This record gives sequence, structure tokens and C-alpha cells, in this order.
Amino acid sequence: MAPHSESGKLEQVVSQFLLKSLHIILDSRIPSLHPRDPTCDSRVRKSDKWFNLVLGDRPAALDNLNFWHRNLMDPMIIDIILVQQGTAISTSVGNLLSGSPGRTATETVIERWLVQFESPPRGTASQPSEGSAASYKKTYKKSIIFLRSLYLQTRLLPAYRIFKQLSSSSQPFNFDIIYKVSSFSEPFSRVEEEMMKEYRFVPIEALPGRLHVSVTYRPQLSEFNLQPLTTMPPKIISDYVGSPATDPLRYFPSSYKGDRAISFPSKVMHSPTSVPFQRPHSWTSGFHKPVVNHHLAGSPTVYRTSQMSYDSPSPPMERMQNHRRPLHQRAPFYDECQLSPPFSPSVSPSTPTYLRNSESPRQTRAISETAPVTIPSPISGRSSRYISPNFSDPSKLSLPPLSPRSTRLDNSSNESPSGMRLIKKPEASRADLGSAGQKVLKDNKDDSGRFSGLLSSSDSPRVGFSRSSSKLSFQDDIDDCDFSCPFDVDDVDPPDSRISQNVDWKRNLESTSMGRKSQDAAVGVLVHMLRTAPPLRQDSSCYSSRSLRAEVENDGVATTASGFFMPRRTSDALEELRSYREMKDLLLSKSGTRVLTREPP
Amino acid sequence: MNCEVCQLKELEVEHFEIREVLRCILHTIVFHRALGLVRPKVIDLELFDITYVQCGDGELEKKIDEKIEQFISWVEKHPNKKSQVCISFYEVKNKHPSWFTNKTERLYWEQWYINLNVSQQQKVHSGKSHPSKIVVDPGENSLEERSNRRAALESSLREVLFQIIKFVNEKKDHVPPISDGVVYFPYEITIPSSSDSAFGMDMIKRMLQTGHPTMLS
Repeated sequence: MAPHSESGKLEQVVSQFLLKSLHIILDSRIPSLHPRDPTCDSRVRKSDKWFNLVLGDRPAALDNLNFWHRNLMDPMIIDIILVQQGTAISTSVGNLLSGSPGRTATETVIERWLVQFESPPRGTASQPSEGSAASYKKTYKKSIIFLRSLYLQTRLLPAYRIFKQLSSSSQPFNFDIIYKVSSFSEPFSRVEEEMMKEYRFVPIEALPGRLHVSVTYRPQLSEFNLQPLTTMPPKIISDYVGSPATDPLRYFPSSYKGDRAISFPSKVMHSPTSVPFQRPHSWTSGFHKPVVNHHLAGSPTVYRTSQMSYDSPSPPMERMQNHRRPLHQRAPFYDECQLSPPFSPSVSPSTPTYLRNSESPRQTRAISETAPVTIPSPISGRSSRYISPNFSDPSKLSLPPLSPRSTRLDNSSNESPSGMRLIKKPEASRADLGSAGQKVLKDNKDDSGRFSGLLSSSDSPRVGFSRSSSKLSFQDDIDDCDFSCPFDVDDVDPPDSRISQNVDWKRNLESTSMGRKSQDAAVGVLVHMLRTAPPLRQDSSCYSSRSLRAEVENDGVATTASGFFMPRRTSDALEELRSYREMKDLLLSKSGTRVLTREPP
Repeated sequence: MNCEVCQLKELEVEHFEIREVLRCILHTIVFHRALGLVRPKVIDLELFDITYVQCGDGELEKKIDEKIEQFISWVEKHPNKKSQVCISFYEVKNKHPSWFTNKTERLYWEQWYINLNVSQQQKVHSGKSHPSKIVVDPGENSLEERSNRRAALESSLREVLFQIIKFVNEKKDHVPPISDGVVYFPYEITIPSSSDSAFGMDMIKRMLQTGHPTMLS
């Protein structure tokens, strides 16, 4: 009995050793796995007590390890892969929309860790009972020491530097780091091998076997030309959508790169397994849904846990996408709306639901980039109302705040003018919107003003108060053309802000309201710009008639709403995007830059 | 078990670099000898592109900083000298009267020697600045020479850290068992004292105190 329990304990130690090693390595290589600073978390988890090394939350991926790594003798091979864009960054929405990004990604294994418990074959080595009583304890103690040195070693290797770059900077970069865990791997080519160095740790005694850990790594990463992206700094755009600092409940990806976990199941699903998407000895599921493996043909699953940052325009959209709800219940939304603006597929790793669409991350992002950003006025965070009409399910408040006007238009017309609202289902009924509005109202009293009228028109008795004081009359709102200018909210005004106490984005509102005054001057210019902007769709009156103007003037002039819902083309979207960019630049120049420095989660 | 000794590679440091270098090395050593529950704290050096790991123990950090300050004071009085900082880990054995002690005996089971060659620049900065503040010494050297020297030091410091990792992994048998509730083994940091001869005497004293080698695990 004793030997069994001893060997059982040894197995447990070895198994936890593997987990801990993986945890240490991933912690120091994959930025998105640990959005929070683990040192801020004073909890000591059960997993932390193993080997007396507190590492914080185990990445969800580790939960799978015990499952696939059934045989302790199997090596655990962890590939740290550098993903780089193959072509110049293109912001062409058309490219993205078409689904053919026109860019390739180069993946290079920059580190390969091998952790293996090697045990002599049974029968060849005696199992001395006298020594085995304490052998697992010795192994445990030695493992403690070893894991300390592994922890340091991972920080001394070259890959740590680029990990630091990715995780500490809010800028997007032209590269990303993903990982792959499996029990087998393709050996390096001769060329690759020559470029790599190997470091072998002293084997750890784990009687009757030994634990071997080694790493093959690229000593130089300078040849990869890793640098931040230079296009549209997301931080500027963030002004439009508010800031995570002011609206903590709004989820933003850990970096502008987005936080997408995408699993690339091996193309060869030949190994029998009882678990779908699982291959023996390889990392398959975990917390992502499998996505087509574009790049790693024949290789085991790869977890792309952070978003490539090359789709730079998308972060703001993503942010807006995530604005409303951290829950990311966008899946149905995507089903309905091809254009899926609030796209942000980038979601916290803990919410895999956003990966319903099995497109590649790039495509998803492409989609996300199609819709022009509805740049909600930073002033107003109470745009839940904007969002809700677009969703048949009001709980999916994942759209960034839209202007009240646009929302109202949506409500009334069931058409999605532009940007997020485009996504609206044509058949979205008023009733739906009404109910959505109700729900929205629940969340945001602030919106009630606008909604009150709207809802009442939708037979929603819920709406209590009437904000008839809002400068725009209800009629105006309904008639408004779809997409609103962010400055719409100007008329939604200050008094509303009092109402939005209970709203998440109230903070955002407050932070942005400061700049409102200074933006007023810019608003006029902006409005003019919008009015004279080339139509994005056939009924350009949508834009020009935007009550933005009316709102600015505070006269609540009704604008004629034409059919808002037009099929959008790529060029349309591009145009719109461009116009928004101009808007943004204008705003910035007028109001001074309110740069949001985004702390990496 | 014999007292394991590790002589670390000598580092040529300038005065203002001492603090960072010593902090890095001492904390790294202690981190590997803090076998109780530890929440590692990752620190990026300011002068070098190196990241090291601390135990995250505030008291430990304070004690180490105090010793470093003492060392820097000593260096100011003995410029341009090679010096050693020694960190030793010991076990406390009770109440064996001996020549030097009549209470407890320290059984040193491991010693690390950090060898520094401090080159003093023209201007000497006292060591009272904030621990995190790095005072750059405007020396006479050309910028290029200085950056070369800095790069060489960074590379050497990295080597020293690898040396520590190698040593801790190679020699584990002499490490005593970990007591519950104790985060790190008792340690002692020895810096050169005022006179060289006294320093030597300290070494002899410690060797005598070590006592018989024992199997510690």
C-alpha cells in the first residue's frame, strides 16, 4: 500500500509540476492571459500553494492540461510563437470586409519548452521502498527550488522583452505572441535549429524517474522588427467612446490589440477522442471555440490569446462594442447582422461566446471594422438606448453608445442607418425596440428622457418620466436620420447627466462632459462637415438631416428621416470611416487631446 | 553536509551602479532560498535591461537595502578596491557552548560571494539617495566608452544570474528542510568591515563557527 500511495503522491507532484511550469511560462509570455496584476490579488489559491509559489489565477487553458495530458510520461511541449504581419498594415475596409485580408501572418517559434517526466521502464528499475517513503518529498522540495529558477529564467530570456512590450504598452504592435501546447511537435528545420540556442536545466530527481526541463530559444529577436503600429493611435479614438478608466464596467480588451482567444484546431482530427475538438496530446479546446486553422496546417491546436494589432482601426470600434456589457452577449447579434459593428470580437478570455462566428480573427476584426464607428459623444454615456434598439435582445447591450437621435431613429424606423445601427435587423419591430427600450431604461434612467416619448409610442407604459425637456422633441428623434453624430448628445445635455447616476457609463459621461464645452465650437464645424459630406448611402439625407445640427442649435428641428436602412458597401463604410476620422481629428484639435493612457490589464 | 560555496563572477561596477547590481543579485539569491510561500515580485532594473525577481517580503527588502547602504559607505571610504559581499544561509543549532558562542550555533550550509570591482569616478555620490533613484555619475569617460562598459556589465550581470540559477539547480541536497511558516532561511549578509584584516578575521570566525558538517536533510 505504501508504495502505491507514494507513487500516487509522486504522480500528483509531477502532474502539478507540469501545471505550474506551464503556468509560469505562459504568465511570462502571453500578455492576455493575466490581465490583472497578480500581485494586487492577495488571495492565495489552492493552486498557489503548490510549490509555495503564488502565481494567481491559472489561465483557463491550464484546466485542460490535466485532461489531455493523461500520460505523465508524455512530454509537454510549449511553443511560444511570434506572429507577425506579413504585409503592410492596411486599413482598407474593403479588404477586411471581403474576408481576404490581403495580408499574411508569419509565425515563428521563438521558444520551445520541453517538460518531461522520464521514468525508467517498469521492471528495469527496482522500486526501493526504503527510499521511496520520502522520495516524493525530496522531489517536491527540489521542484520548489527549480520552479523558482524557472520563474527567473523565463524573465531572463529574450522573449520576455517582447512580452513586456506587448503587455505594458497600450499601443498596438505589429506582432503578437501565441502559444501552443502539445505532446509532440515538429522538429525544427536545420536552419531554424542553427538560429536557436538550448538551455537545459539540471534534471530534477523524481524517483524513480527524473524531470527534465529544457528550452530552445532564439537568442536574438531583433531581426523581427517588432514595433508599435503607427496608424491611428487608439488612444485618441478612445476619446470618442469614452475611457475604460472612467467606465470600469465597460469592458475593453486588454490592449487595443484586443483580447481574443482563438483556438485553431488541428486540421487533422484523426485521433479518436471522447471530447469534441480534442486531440490527444494537444491543446485543443479550452475556452475558445475552434476556429479554422489558417496558418498552422497540420499542427496541433494553437491558442491565439491575444489579438493581432494590425487591425488598428478596429480597436475603438471594439471598445465601443464592448462598451455596454462585459458579458458580451453578442452572439445572436452577429448572426443577425453581418456587418456587426460593435464587433468587438475581442473579448475577455473568460467569455468565449463571442467566438460564435467561426471566422478568423482577422475576418472578425474585418467585420468589426466595416461599421463606421458611431462615435458617441463622449459626453453621453447614456447610450444604452442607442444600443438596445438594435438588438432584439435588449440584454445585449454591447454596442457602444450611439446618439440618442440615432437610436430613436432606429426605434422608429427599424432601420439601421449606419455604423452599429446598420446592423439592425430590418424586421426589428418597434415593439422589440420598445421592449428593448424598456430594458434600456432600466439600465439607464438617463435615457428615459428620450425614451419616454419613444416608448410611449411603442406602447411601453413603463416609461415613467418624460423628458420632454430634452431639446429634441420625440418627434424629432423619430424622424432623425439614423446615425447620429456624436454631438447629438449635446442636446441630450447636462440635465440628463443627473439622471444617469446609476449608469455604468455615467463616469464616462462625466469625464467627457468636461470637454463638451470646448467641443461645442468644434461641433459646428463638424456638423457642417457632416452635412456636406458625401452621402454614404442613397438617402444621404440621413446624414445631412441629422439632428445633430438641430441639436446643436437646440431647436429640436425635426429632420426628415428617409429610409435609413441601406445596404452598405465597403466603400460606403470606408467613406464614413474617413469622415469620422476627420471628425475626430477636428475634435481633437479643438478640444485638446484628452489622451487616455490605457493601463494594460 | 558541507557548506556549499558559490563564487560569483566578478563585476566591474561604478559607484552609482552598486545599489542596483547588489539588490538584483542579493534578491535573486534569497528568492531561490525562500522556499516558503512566496508571491514573487518582478522588478525591472533601471540601469539595465534586466528583470529579476524578489520575494515580495518588505522586511527582507529593507534589510537588504540597509546592508547595501552600509556597503556603499564602506566603498566610499575604500575607493577603487575589489570587494566582496557575502550572503550566507545558516541553520540555528541550539545551545552548544563553544569558544565563541554559548547560546546558539549557526551552521552555515551555503555561502555566496558577490565579487565587485568598484571603479570610482571623479565625483562620489553618497549612498543616502532614495533606493529607487539612480544617480548618474558624470564621469570623464566618453559616452561610447561608458555605454560599452555598461553593456558589458549588463551582460556580466546576466551571466551572474544564470550562474545563480545553475548553482541552485545543481546543488540541492544540502538545503535544509523547510520549516512551516518560515518563508526564507535565516541568512546573513557580510560586507567588508573597516579594515581588511578584520574582514579576514570575520571569515575565519565564521569558518570556526560552522562546526561539523552535518547531513541536513
